[in-house]
Amino acid sequence: MTRTDRPKDQERLEAVLAHFLDAGFARREPALLQPAAVFLDRLGEDFRGRLYLVNDGGDAELCLRPEYTIPVSLDYLASPEAGKPAALAYGGAIFRIGDGQLAQAGLESFGREDREAADAEILGVALDAAKAAGAARLHVRLGDAGLVRTFLDRLGLPPAWRRRFEIGFARGTPLAKIFATPARKNGEAGAGMLAALSNVDAAGAKKLVEDMLSIAGISTVGGRSAGEIVERFLEQASLADGGSVGSEKRALIEAFFGVEGSPDAASGALRKLAKYAGLDLAFALDSFDTRSSFIAARGLSLDDMVFSTRFPHSIDYYSGFMFEAGVPGALGAPPAIGGGRYDTLLKTLGAARDIPAVGAAISIDRLSGDAA
Amino acid sequence: MSDVETLRTPRAESQDRLQDRLIVAVPSKGRLQENAFAFFARAGLELQQGRGARDYRGTIAGLDHVEAAFLSASEITARLARGEAHFGVTGEDLVREEIDDPAHRVELLAPLGFGAANVVVAVPAAWIDVRGMADLADVAGGFRARHGRGLRVATKYVNTTRRYFKEHGIADYRIVESSGATEGAPAAGAADLIVDITTTGATLKANALKTLDDGVILRSQANLVASLTAPWGDAAREAARIILSRIAAEEEARTTRELRAKLGEVGDKLLRKAETKFGATLRERGAGGLLVFAAPAHRVAPFADWLIAHGAQTVTSGRLDYVFRADNELWTRLSARLGGG
Repeated sequence: MTRTDRPKDQERLEAVLAHFLDAGFARREPALLQPAAVFLDRLGEDFRGRLYLVNDGGDAELCLRPEYTIPVSLDYLASPEAGKPAALAYGGAIFRIGDGQLAQAGLESFGREDREAADAEILGVALDAAKAAGAARLHVRLGDAGLVRTFLDRLGLPPAWRRRFEIGFARGTPLAKIFATPARKNGEAGAGMLAALSNVDAAGAKKLVEDMLSIAGISTVGGRSAGEIVERFLEQASLADGGSVGSEKRALIEAFFGVEGSPDAASGALRKLAKYAGLDLAFALDSFDTRSSFIAARGLSLDDMVFSTRFPHSIDYYSGFMFEAGVPGALGAPPAIGGGRYDTLLKTLGAARDIPAVGAAISIDRLSGDAA
Repeated sequence: MSDVETLRTPRAESQDRLQDRLIVAVPSKGRLQENAFAFFARAGLELQQGRGARDYRGTIAGLDHVEAAFLSASEITARLARGEAHFGVTGEDLVREEIDDPAHRVELLAPLGFGAANVVVAVPAAWIDVRGMADLADVAGGFRARHGRGLRVATKYVNTTRRYFKEHGIADYRIVESSGATEGAPAAGAADLIVDITTTGATLKANALKTLDDGVILRSQANLVASLTAPWGDAAREAARIILSRIAAEEEARTTRELRAKLGEVGDKLLRKAETKFGATLRERGAGGLLVFAAPAHRVAPFADWLIAHGAQTVTSGRLDYVFRADNELWTRLSARLGGG
């Protein structure tokens, strides 16, 4: 499959790129051949099935670039402007097994501390570029991974429940199932030890198990320290011991993840919820509203956009604002535009500190809605 | 397949050779080979290796248009997938790992009862907080935040691991490919856990590893495997039919017993009861009310008791060498998969 061969897609790609350059973004074109490890490390081993892998006899596995964000980020970090504000654009072919060669264009904005304005600019320029390439009006969905994280932080869930929730949420597991108390198996190995530990306070229990592991000569195994193992062992013990999230917190979680609507309506509902629950979400919601104002100031209609706390499902990669836009009617079809803020990515790619970053990618073949 | 392997293994079969004969790929060394030879010998199929022990080609005594190829289990799997061998003896673990879309490329005709081993997920025994895949998913979820990297899994079963971890919702991990001594990887600091094949679990124990409660990905054993992509000419089909009919004849003889009893009048109802209750089927009716049944070997005694309760005076049971059938289940299944022509 080589969709970029379609003359129409090539025309659209050029129109999108022309619009990006007009908007002040500088073109970058990273190499086609990229080290595979950098994608697998960040996108997970499961992504291996999508990579066109190449082996040139050396130690490092190479692949045809499956996306642009990571290569463009690496180029930026290797350039003299690393750490300074930069507005970059890209456009060309990406390669994924199952889809073959696809045309993709996009934007990355690095180093801007005025995050809300940068978020709005990326959304606005991406939507305008799609329009310039002849796309019909797109449905826009918004999310905020930073807001979701802040809410979970303020809620103060025990770490075990927090992870259980995040994993379940990412997999689309119903809340009732996520919060069901795990069944404790009778006669399970370790049950005796757990029973003994239930009479000791947390610090004492940790010390006791740590001592036991140290007597057995175990310090670190397979990259996990004894302390880490003990901590989780006791955590699981408290889960199994009938410890639960509590109906009040559950109700708050249900209410929070039920919020969906226009950004302004959603913000209002979340402020009410925060006040009722006594949770301090002011900073996150002020930032949310500031961003909404910047979006409106670009002439975009906020009322035509839908914000949902359930979007995105997985908040691993993104750190703040998120959006996607698709052709109306293409129900269940992957969106034509996707993007968001990922302030923590560049540090994992070798930056000395976190660098603010927000970007968008446009799948050219999905702009018309006829590709599906 | 690595470059080194390509250089060492004999040149792939040419298409011509595959057209006018049936190629049976058999393990070339060790216990797998002994067991494979014994399996074919039981069915009256004597594998004959070529002139020297290093010769990788051979024949099956008395069968024309059949060529045996003696290869490594991994090479056998690769040839079945490429359609360069018609039949092969190889482990199910290799079929599932090394063949892309195995359901469409090969047919697992029969498990052979040897080469049994499990592909398992094993973690350090010191991970007292990790008992099942759900625990592992939880640890994987929190690992990156704590260590700045994903969990590392040492294995040579890359595809099998990916499928199983996906089923259990584990995405954030990295595979460290390992071709030998995988079980030593966690102790050496090269990985956090492993996916490997084990027969008794002793090697895992020796390396202070434990299998997760639901960590058995695959219970594997040697299988007789047919390639669906090989060119199946008339000669190959006929040879395959003969081989499968002998294998099926031996298997049926080994797993069943023939029972004889005189019962007088016997209606269909009673025969149906014999079938549902004991899996016994009527082979023939003789003179004077003699009935000859075939029954599973382990049901012989209760079935004989039952026959006596229904009026038989004497019930004899015997073991046969072979039970040949005009239609045998193995060939019926294979020819259905191969289609016409």
